[in-house]
Amino acid sequence: MRISVEEVQHIAKLAKLRFSTEEAEKMATEFDSILGHFQSMDQIELNLDGSRDTNVVEAPLREDKASVFGDQNKLFKNAKKLQEGYIQVPKIIE
Amino acid sequence: MELRTMSIDEIVTGIKNRKIKAQELIETIYKKIDEVDPILQGYLTLCKEEALKQAKQIDEKAMKGEKLGKLAGVPVAIKDNICTDGVLTTCGSKMLEDFIPPYDATVVKKLKEEGAIIIGKTNMDEFAMGSSNENSAFKATKNPWDIKRVPGGSSGGSAAVVAAGMAPLSLGSDTGGSIRQPAAFCGVVGLKPTYGLVSRFGLIAFASSLDQIGPIATNVKDCALSLEVLQGHDPMDATSVREEVKGNYLEEIEKGIEGFRIGVPIDLLKGGLNEEISKAIEGSIENLKELGAIVEEITLPIVDEGLSAYYIISSAEASSNLARFDGIRYGYRPKQFESVEDLMERSRTEAFGEEVKRRIMLGTYALSSGYYDAYYNKAQKIRDKIQKQYEALFNDYDLIVTPTTPTLPFLQGEKINDPMEMYLGDIFTISANLAKIPALSMPCGFSKEGLPIGLQIIGGAFKEDKILRAAYKLEQKLQVTKNVSVGKEGI
Amino acid sequence: MAWETIIGMEIHVELATKSKIFCSCPTTFGAPPNSQTCPVCLGLPGTLPVLNDEVVKLAIKAGLALNCDINLSSKMDRKNYFYPDSPKAYQISQYDLPICSGGRIEIEVEGKKKEIRINRIHIEEDAGKLIHMVEEPHSLIDYNRVGVPLIEIVSEADMRSPQEAVEYVKTLKSILEYAGISDCRMEQGSLRCDANISIRRVGQEELNSKVEIKNMNSFKELIKAMEKEEKRQRELYSFGEGHKVIQETRRWDSGKGRTVSMRTKEDAHDYRYFPEPDIPTIHFNRNLVESIEKMIPELPEAKKKRFKDFYQLTDKEIEILIGDKPLAEFYERTVKVGAEPKIVANWILGDLLKLLKVEELQGSEIPIKEKDLVELLKLIETGEISGKIAKEVFETMFKTREEPKSIIAKRGLTQISGEEQLERYILEVLENNPQSVEDYHGGKKQAMGYLMGQIMKATQGQANPQLTKEILTMKLQNLK
Ligand SMILES: [Mg+2]
Ligand SMILES: [Zn+2]
Repeated sequence: MRISVEEVQHIAKLAKLRFSTEEAEKMATEFDSILGHFQSMDQIELNLDGSRDTNVVEAPLREDKASVFGDQNKLFKNAKKLQEGYIQVPKIIE
Repeated sequence: MELRTMSIDEIVTGIKNRKIKAQELIETIYKKIDEVDPILQGYLTLCKEEALKQAKQIDEKAMKGEKLGKLAGVPVAIKDNICTDGVLTTCGSKMLEDFIPPYDATVVKKLKEEGAIIIGKTNMDEFAMGSSNENSAFKATKNPWDIKRVPGGSSGGSAAVVAAGMAPLSLGSDTGGSIRQPAAFCGVVGLKPTYGLVSRFGLIAFASSLDQIGPIATNVKDCALSLEVLQGHDPMDATSVREEVKGNYLEEIEKGIEGFRIGVPIDLLKGGLNEEISKAIEGSIENLKELGAIVEEITLPIVDEGLSAYYIISSAEASSNLARFDGIRYGYRPKQFESVEDLMERSRTEAFGEEVKRRIMLGTYALSSGYYDAYYNKAQKIRDKIQKQYEALFNDYDLIVTPTTPTLPFLQGEKINDPMEMYLGDIFTISANLAKIPALSMPCGFSKEGLPIGLQIIGGAFKEDKILRAAYKLEQKLQVTKNVSVGKEGI
Repeated sequence: MAWETIIGMEIHVELATKSKIFCSCPTTFGAPPNSQTCPVCLGLPGTLPVLNDEVVKLAIKAGLALNCDINLSSKMDRKNYFYPDSPKAYQISQYDLPICSGGRIEIEVEGKKKEIRINRIHIEEDAGKLIHMVEEPHSLIDYNRVGVPLIEIVSEADMRSPQEAVEYVKTLKSILEYAGISDCRMEQGSLRCDANISIRRVGQEELNSKVEIKNMNSFKELIKAMEKEEKRQRELYSFGEGHKVIQETRRWDSGKGRTVSMRTKEDAHDYRYFPEPDIPTIHFNRNLVESIEKMIPELPEAKKKRFKDFYQLTDKEIEILIGDKPLAEFYERTVKVGAEPKIVANWILGDLLKLLKVEELQGSEIPIKEKDLVELLKLIETGEISGKIAKEVFETMFKTREEPKSIIAKRGLTQISGEEQLERYILEVLENNPQSVEDYHGGKKQAMGYLMGQIMKATQGQANPQLTKEILTMKLQNLK
């Protein structure tokens, strides 16, 4: 196994997902097959310190002009609960 | 009015000359949808009321002799990961089952500006992850040629509704083949443009550096026409290209391919490929030669490793792009939760499907500390190498021709339990995304069972014109499209 | 054995742009909750960021003002973390290719100069604001601040005391203010500092575990928090409990007056940085850097020197003036209109500052016009009003924004300089105070002061003091 169930659970924590032990075991097996395939990458000769220069596209920039979206009702239509313009969520511990 | 045989050009001209009424056309479309879609399950949402309103306006304009847009009255189906102002946009996910965007994607805006009428949103694999539409949280779209088979994915809904005459044009998105593979499976024409040619603003991201929106239509000319509308710089998308690279595809399309140098990876046609597909492609190659093209054998850039690089990069970007779906601001929320932390974990765990979770996990793993260099960084370098190899190839060749898929449309449930097997189906399509170059899939024949076979034409960056020229001539010669409409009477 | 404190600072500064970093929402402070948001900064599905050109320019300007190398190519990266203040669940920041690297500024503590090196400056976006309600079972989110452009300035661990660290922040703040990069209002959160503190024995090479302190919203809290943390660590080391100093993040609780642990290294985030695919490489040429260099105004160090050479102010005066950029600008403008540098400095640092403080106004909100102040000083010089009256006039000018002449005219405050007129007042006072006159002649010279006072009272302070004294002396001689 290239990846343990514990590792799967650690990654799940980072990704804010939950898996039962069985699910995590299944995931570990699947990862094994996928990561195994990824090993083919090692056969490619790569210029490992070569910079990624094929993709240098300049970022088009935006002019610093302010405007407001306007329709707040539309903008927050998908919010579950609003309170005086704030989005209300369950208590957040700092 | 038989929609399946009507081109966009015929619709627009008909509406302009008042031979066709947009309202009637829309009514006809919805009648067809009522008949066919309960079987095919291609649409997730229909916008009949708004569409009829739009059609009425177009008719009034036509009556008054006012100027009409390039797509006046053309019904268009939109993949459900492209945002439509005020219209449900679910991404095929329980996560967004009630999500209504407050804005239109740039492509939707452009379509509307040219008079196109949005008729509905099409089914897809959840968050565009999948090749069969079986990963939709809502329904599995069927292949119009054989309803036991999958339509391909992730733009399976968009390809199926066009193939079945439920829309003359649809939009799909293509991250690793998601326009081309379903186009091949459904026997229609699908184009993935050069990365940056079409704005991504409003496309709910799967993998930002690979995603590209493109048209799916019944014929090559319709693809060319709609691309002219869709393309161009968008100030809302920093990765969209400068205005100058826009092409006049329709003007060029009849020019032919006399003297075009076309590369074909012959070895791929021999080793392990479905025999019927192999034969259909070889037949097409002969036709291309007859059209004046010079065909030579080439070796495609690192294919196997490219697939790995693709899955690492796309999953890594997806893990980050899909992190915003946490139940806080919009989207699915569980009935019960104990804290914000609990709310976020439960929302994601309950609302994401298996494949989406698998890719998020894979991407999170590939980016996590200690693994970044072994996976993500290496994958980026392979991607660079593939890009360079394609650049070199396109110094020598105008186009490259391959099959679109290694297999014919498969049965539902056939591959769902083996993710790696499903991933291998993308072997011919992913490299165009990695290299950011354009590629088109068009029907080039049928299997003995009557299943469509797709041919892929790949071009250099911003060489959509060459691809469309070749595809158009080949389409004329093969006459496959015409057969399609006959073949689908059975539904 | 002696201990030494090692401090490095990370400072987040909100840039003075009109719109946000990736969308055109305005950045005004204090707007109603979520009123300055749009699909882009709310990170709604499908939206994309487009970088604000002014953000790049201001970051370059900051780099130049802090003597950094400007990197002609830099890129944006994603820093992934789940927290409700971040609507995309990642912050767009810069990881391994920041826009500026290297750099240094000079600070002065107790007359000694010291150079503090800057490691890097990078561009990033601000997060939203969470409101934690003590009594309620829920929290509230305001995303107005999401996407406000920030630069993060990371120093080397070159500071050796909380005093040095505070001086570093003060110096940095005044440079950024002068260069017009940020308004640096700590109370509004447009300048926020995090301090990394560790302690080691003098002479020891390697660093011990460092503690990051966050949430210090004023210079007062900054010094208090760092001194507290320094003390906490020193005590642990001196009592042989050095192992209890662990790498962690602690939040300054100003109410309780102590730092509280937030998270340790073990549960630190794995941010999974990777290049932001939605924003191509930021690339510009030397010309842009040069044109920005030309736009950088005089910075505090140069200004201090010029104030000393040119206006001959004292170090203390210079420090106060330059410490408040708008005040220094007001000073220079007034001098330019024609005020005597030394005299107007006294007015500004004395009466003006006092009134500003009483009215709780900033240096940028001075209600007096430069030309009116110059006019006032002229009236004193020509003897038209006394210094005492001038103070009253000044206060009225401050409150009503009227011109000094019209105030004086309206209230009849012109100084009485007519000898005949004065003589009448003086004779009247002498007549009504025979006892004082007698005292004066009897040798009690202080009676003179009393009589002057009475005259001033009779004239409501309008008597020209010089002339009054002359005439009074003469009259007293005559009465002898
Ligand atoms: Mg930061
Ligand atoms: Zn915004």
